[in-house]
Amino acid sequence: MSLNDEKKTPENEKDGRVVFRRKGFQFLGMGLQDYIRVFFGGNASLAIIVLILICLFLLREAAMFFPDHHQGLKSYRQGGQELVGYVSDEVDAHTKVYSSANIAYFAEVGRTSIHEDKQLRAYRTVLANVEQSTKYTWARLERYLDEAEDLNDDVEDLREDIEEASADAEADAEDLKKDQAELAEIEARLKQLEPLIAKEREQLEKEVQTALGTSRVWDLDIAARGLSDEELSMVREAVVFEAYPDAEDEHESIQNLKQVSRDKKAAEAERLADFKETLNGIRDSIRPMKSLYGEMKDISVANRREIDAFSTAPARRAALLAGVEQTDDPAEKERMQKQADEVVIVEPDYDAINEPLYALVPQHGELAGPLQDEMNKLFRQLPQEVETKSARENMKRAAVYYERFDNTVTNNRDRILDWRHDAPLSLWTSTTSFMFGKHWITNSSWHDFYGLLPLFTGSLLISIIALTVSVPFAVAAAIYVNQIARFKEQSFVKPAIEFIGAIPSVVLGFFGILVFGEALRNISQLEWLQWVPGFPMAERLTILNAGLLLAFMAVPTIFTLTEDALNNVPAAFSENSLALGATKLQTVFRVIVPTAVSGIIAAILLGFGRIIGETMVVLLVAGNKIKIPDFTEGLGVVAQPAHTMTGIIAQELGEVDSGSLHWRALFMVGMVLFVISLLVNWAAQRTLKRLQKI
Amino acid sequence: MKKSLAILALAALAAGVNAEDKIVIKGSDTLGAKMVPQLAELYKEAGNEISFEIAAEGSSTAFTHLQASPADVGMSSRNVKDSEIEAFTAKGMELKDWTAAYDMIGVVVNEKSGIEELTLEQVEGIFTGDITDWSEVGGDAGPISVYTRNTSSGTYKSFQEMAMQKRDYGADTQKMAGNEQIAEEVAKNANGIGYVGLAYCEKDGIKPIAVDGVELEPKNAKEYPIARSLHYYTVNGKLSEAATKFLVWATTDEKAAEVVERVGFIPASE
Repeated sequence: MSLNDEKKTPENEKDGRVVFRRKGFQFLGMGLQDYIRVFFGGNASLAIIVLILICLFLLREAAMFFPDHHQGLKSYRQGGQELVGYVSDEVDAHTKVYSSANIAYFAEVGRTSIHEDKQLRAYRTVLANVEQSTKYTWARLERYLDEAEDLNDDVEDLREDIEEASADAEADAEDLKKDQAELAEIEARLKQLEPLIAKEREQLEKEVQTALGTSRVWDLDIAARGLSDEELSMVREAVVFEAYPDAEDEHESIQNLKQVSRDKKAAEAERLADFKETLNGIRDSIRPMKSLYGEMKDISVANRREIDAFSTAPARRAALLAGVEQTDDPAEKERMQKQADEVVIVEPDYDAINEPLYALVPQHGELAGPLQDEMNKLFRQLPQEVETKSARENMKRAAVYYERFDNTVTNNRDRILDWRHDAPLSLWTSTTSFMFGKHWITNSSWHDFYGLLPLFTGSLLISIIALTVSVPFAVAAAIYVNQIARFKEQSFVKPAIEFIGAIPSVVLGFFGILVFGEALRNISQLEWLQWVPGFPMAERLTILNAGLLLAFMAVPTIFTLTEDALNNVPAAFSENSLALGATKLQTVFRVIVPTAVSGIIAAILLGFGRIIGETMVVLLVAGNKIKIPDFTEGLGVVAQPAHTMTGIIAQELGEVDSGSLHWRALFMVGMVLFVISLLVNWAAQRTLKRLQKI
Repeated sequence: MKKSLAILALAALAAGVNAEDKIVIKGSDTLGAKMVPQLAELYKEAGNEISFEIAAEGSSTAFTHLQASPADVGMSSRNVKDSEIEAFTAKGMELKDWTAAYDMIGVVVNEKSGIEELTLEQVEGIFTGDITDWSEVGGDAGPISVYTRNTSSGTYKSFQEMAMQKRDYGADTQKMAGNEQIAEEVAKNANGIGYVGLAYCEKDGIKPIAVDGVELEPKNAKEYPIARSLHYYTVNGKLSEAATKFLVWATTDEKAAEVVERVGFIPASE
């Protein structure tokens, strides 16, 4: 391109919209600049179109969920599974009563042997630690010892042979010689092994001592809590004794301890014989109901199979017919055609298949009353006064469960009598049982339940923790950096915080599992921290762990946006305030922050959006327990694992059949997330607009 | 210039040759994590000029993948489902089932636990949530933490069928991504219990327990109550010759059986 070219096109220069001063590249009546404009404009509209398509796709898949889900619930009712579900609830409620009382019983039985059990546990802990750190040497030594043992056996056999042979005059001298040669060889090898074994043994001894010395690990500390030095050294001695591959039975003191523990337990068990008898009574009281339940379950499972076969029969037939079209092999064609003809599409007779279930309903009525009476009697027989804390807690729990069991049976009586397999089921039920359903059970052999509540509460709880932790830090940091910090500090702190946003979330997830989770649990075991609700934590992967990591991830978002909001406060405000004689601090907290507050709220909302949509960290760290957290533990609820809406999609979507109900349910969860994000963004925009008005 | 062109052409040629002699194997994590890659290595070492592409993302992926490209091999730790068979029928294809090996699912607890043995009924109780405390099955008191595979895993389903009488998992169970993660959590939690394939039972910090009095050892495969077969699935008539040769070798050869045994399964030929 030369200057000449430009001069030839003076008309371009007159045009106000010149982008490139070039000779008119013209194609289809449009110049280069027009194409550039179309390109950028086109990109923007393409993005919008793609966004709309995504929304439509999501909406279509999610909308299909409700009719399918409704059909599933209908099959659940038509096959009689709903009825059997009631009986199942009774049996489950009963199991809970028995289990809690049983735990209380065992706590009482172990009451007097607590100290012995503690020593045994410390012994197992130390031994496991030692074995882990010495396992290679241990394995080598074991190999040598095994070899030596085998060889020694051989030597004995050979010696016997030789003895026999030399006593027997007729024996073959050749054989004798061979045996002797072999004997010499083996003995040479044994000689060789001796120093090896000695060396490994020495090495092992050293390693055991080192392992014992460094066994100041957390779990050992906890296991050893409350043991005297004497007992601890006994434990160590027993471990050293047991740490070799050729150790015979366990150390005497351990055997003793075990015996004492057993004896003490037996004595307690004798004292608590009445307790046990009542427990057995409780356990046996459910037997008739359980067998009725089994009988009903078999019927309804068969029913369900029939119903499902009916609903999939057309598809099966269509599949076979399509196969006939596809294959070229005539024999194959004929076989498929025959199979297709055999597929019967007859709707099951719902009245008939439920007949046997209705026939069993009176039997349930006959069992329920006596069961309640017996449980009432037995429950009163349980000891009211128990000694240990654990037993008291579990008895309290048993009382709650008993109450629940009794109510379930009472309420179920009418429900079971009134139950009809052909009762209408509204589409609304399908919606509410998804939105407020308490169970998310998939890939089940009984019935798949898609209830959002466990996932929703998990997501929400984690987000709340993340926000409560991150907001004070992020907002305070933004105020400090923006208003108070010196320039040097600013130029260091700001990029540092913003860098957090660059850490890949999967890396944070790994950190959460391997480092943070472990540290958190260890800290929770500290004796002086036991007043904290939820401590000591049993799990590494918990709501708290995920919440804290997400808090860390949300800090840059909230920090940056808050700082922007503070920057947006007109300089005149602070200048006026300072001119009126207010100090810097007064200006910041009385003028600037209140002015920027809607921007800060918007920042927090967007941070929330960031948290609730985060997937990788919660999938790895939250523990994936699909259950509504147990809020009866108060704040301790954070020590439990949970599952999340984002996590379940990531975990299950990759593997479900596309188009299945499960698949659509996951899309529906995605839809809920989408709506939450949309609402949060909308709210953030609204609050921001209010800021602009001042 | 000419030289580099020639090299390029050669490379393209080589790639073309490779593409023909490639066996693509996809599916179960249980098979694809160790066994199949090691078999493939050995097969190549034995002088077979062939390349492998192996992806282990769960049994279900075996079938979706086989539908898309029927020339390949699918690995599955469970039997094929009816709905999956139907999808194949619709395309005029029929599946062939090869027994790859037998696997025992080990129930593992923390090494520090005093528990050495459980009955199958107790295992069922623990995983369904009927039993929630170790004291109920003869251990030291403490709430049981149950770790299971996630719902898409073949092991999740087989365990349910073999050990839990097809009952649903308890709501308190925690769903982990794979064998490795279960082993890891159980090793770090003194009250943990989970199940893993035989190959993972020897990891640090965990120990397999005897079920119904039968120790978890390959020689007990017949009596051990939680054992299953592992499968290769292929599409009849569509499998390449090279892949057929490999599968026959992998399921019958003695050297292959050694590999299978080394990674902790029981060879199909036994």
